[in-house]
Amino acid sequence: MKILIVEDEAKTGDYLKQGLGEAGFAADLVRNGLDGMHEGLAGDYDLLILDVNLPGLDGWQVLKALRAAGRDLPVLFLTARDQVEDRVKGLELGADDYLVKPFAFSELLARVRTLLRRGRAKEAESLSLADLELDVLKRRATRAGRRIDLTAKEFALLELFLRRQGEVLARSFIASQVWDMNFDSDTNVVEVAIRRLRAKVDDDFTPKLIHTLRGMGYVMEIR
Amino acid sequence: MAGWRHSITLRLSVAFALLATLVFAALGLYFSRAADDHMAELDAHDLFGKLALIGHVGTQEQSAAAFAARLGDALIGEHGVIATVDGKKGPIFKWPTAELAEPLAAAGVSLGRTPIRLALGGTEYRVIAADMETPWGGTAHVVVGRDIRHHTDFLDQLQHDFWLAIAAAALLTAVVGALIVRHGMHPVRDIARAAGRISAGQLAERIPEQGVPPELAELVEAFNAMLGRLEESFKRLSDFSADLAHELRTPIHSLRMQTEVSLGKARSTDEYRDLLASNLEEYERLSRIIADMLFLAKADHGLLIPQTEPLALVPLCERLIEYYGLLADNVTLQLSGDDLTVGGDRLMLERAIGNVLINAIHHTPAGGEISIRVQAAGGTAQVSIANSGRPIPEDALHRVFDRFVRLDSGSDGSGLGLAIARSIMRAHRGDIAVTVGGQVTTFHLSLPLEGDHTAL
Repeated sequence: MKILIVEDEAKTGDYLKQGLGEAGFAADLVRNGLDGMHEGLAGDYDLLILDVNLPGLDGWQVLKALRAAGRDLPVLFLTARDQVEDRVKGLELGADDYLVKPFAFSELLARVRTLLRRGRAKEAESLSLADLELDVLKRRATRAGRRIDLTAKEFALLELFLRRQGEVLARSFIASQVWDMNFDSDTNVVEVAIRRLRAKVDDDFTPKLIHTLRGMGYVMEIR
Repeated sequence: MAGWRHSITLRLSVAFALLATLVFAALGLYFSRAADDHMAELDAHDLFGKLALIGHVGTQEQSAAAFAARLGDALIGEHGVIATVDGKKGPIFKWPTAELAEPLAAAGVSLGRTPIRLALGGTEYRVIAADMETPWGGTAHVVVGRDIRHHTDFLDQLQHDFWLAIAAAALLTAVVGALIVRHGMHPVRDIARAAGRISAGQLAERIPEQGVPPELAELVEAFNAMLGRLEESFKRLSDFSADLAHELRTPIHSLRMQTEVSLGKARSTDEYRDLLASNLEEYERLSRIIADMLFLAKADHGLLIPQTEPLALVPLCERLIEYYGLLADNVTLQLSGDDLTVGGDRLMLERAIGNVLINAIHHTPAGGEISIRVQAAGGTAQVSIANSGRPIPEDALHRVFDRFVRLDSGSDGSGLGLAIARSIMRAHRGDIAVTVGGQVTTFHLSLPLEGDHTAL
């Protein structure tokens, strides 16, 4: 999967490139709007990460030029100002998603994966990892053959983890996906929810599947 | 000099001058009329005296010639008197000379009860005519005139003097008026000077209220009250800046310490990982404070514009309770009330109600309860969130919505949650209030009811 990053802030750009590379993507970085437009038109990218505030051509102009040329690759834009008009403008111009700086890198990764997954094959109806199995249609979860009773939200949380196996999920991303809470609040609600889910899914079993990455979020995988 | 058009001094001086002119002109008019009337009366009196004299002489003499001679004697020494007496057979008597009396005879004055004014040969006269029976037979026609030049000269002089007096009075009142007004404006200039001394650093200064004329007392009071309000918000702002610096400095300080100490000697990878993770948590806290501050700054500048959509309050509260309820260990959460719909920004209102709910959860002890009620009250929709537990002290109630206020030191929040809740409610033309009763603290969030927009 090839990703083009257009970002003029040196450090941010470098770390975005490094982070995406280490997450298994082939990421190219350009540092101004004009290069971004040329690369976006010529290169064969699967996704564009576009900073709005760029020297020369700004992000909006790059986006407009790409869409005018018929390039319909998914675009995730980054903005430093949390202005409603910015969001609306970006989405109207054909961007697919946005993030307000500063954001958690894991959040960006999760959004990137969602955008790249979009439009692909129908989502699986049964999910599993190790001896944990989830039947999405019947709303049934079992571990080592034993039925696990979950509330609706616990089920949604577990489903999210299973669909995103191996991905680090930021707390804000989890809150947004499971509870539709889209503002960053200074609470440990997600922590509590995951502690309860662990008690049902992980505590009495091995291997442990849900892991905490301090400061970053949670990941479900076999370690 | 367009400013002069609005100058109080100029306007008042002109008004004074006009007033003086009017008063003097009216007086002048009255006096000249009175003098004129008085002169006419004197002249009439004199003329009737002459008529009586002529009548009296007429009864004494038996012939016209003797009458004329005697009358001539009697009138000697009378200046400015002219007279003619005509009998049936022609003129009998002319005074002072035939030539001088000729125009009077030619004027043909008819009989009258009061003297009339007449110009004879360039001179003003008052004349009167009468008939008398003569001892020598027949009726004689008597006309007596008096030269009134000295009277008219006097009146002309009087008028002339009056015009001069009016002009002088107008000028004088204008000048004196201007001086008085300038002097009267002294307190205003004093106030302006006092106001000029006040700068951002000396907002505690006030314009002295003693010695201010009562007309200006209201202005000074209003001005001082405004200064008071300014001082208070200015103080809040600088307190706030200080608090902000403190809030940012504390985490940055600990980040620095941690990093410096860690770099002090070689450590294991795990230790480095721990350090970075701990740093990340601090960064997150910092970003959140900054994001919250920006949110509040936007609200302060009226830039918080809700994207309004119809929102059913009960389901919205249900969702919030489902989420934040996870934090409420051993606390009962109850939701009751009416199915109300308001217009509002979903994200913002969730945040506002959520913040109040978090606050309630933090302050409810184990075994306590939180009840949330949605109801209509006087054209507004009210969401009341009541929690049991130690109530907020009465004297701290007004501060709970201020920034960086944490009433219990154990609280780990940023101290901005309730300030943000208030900003959001106000951006929605609603408000938030807190009441305390017994062991229950209740926050009331009110919003205009949907469909009530026209009334607002």
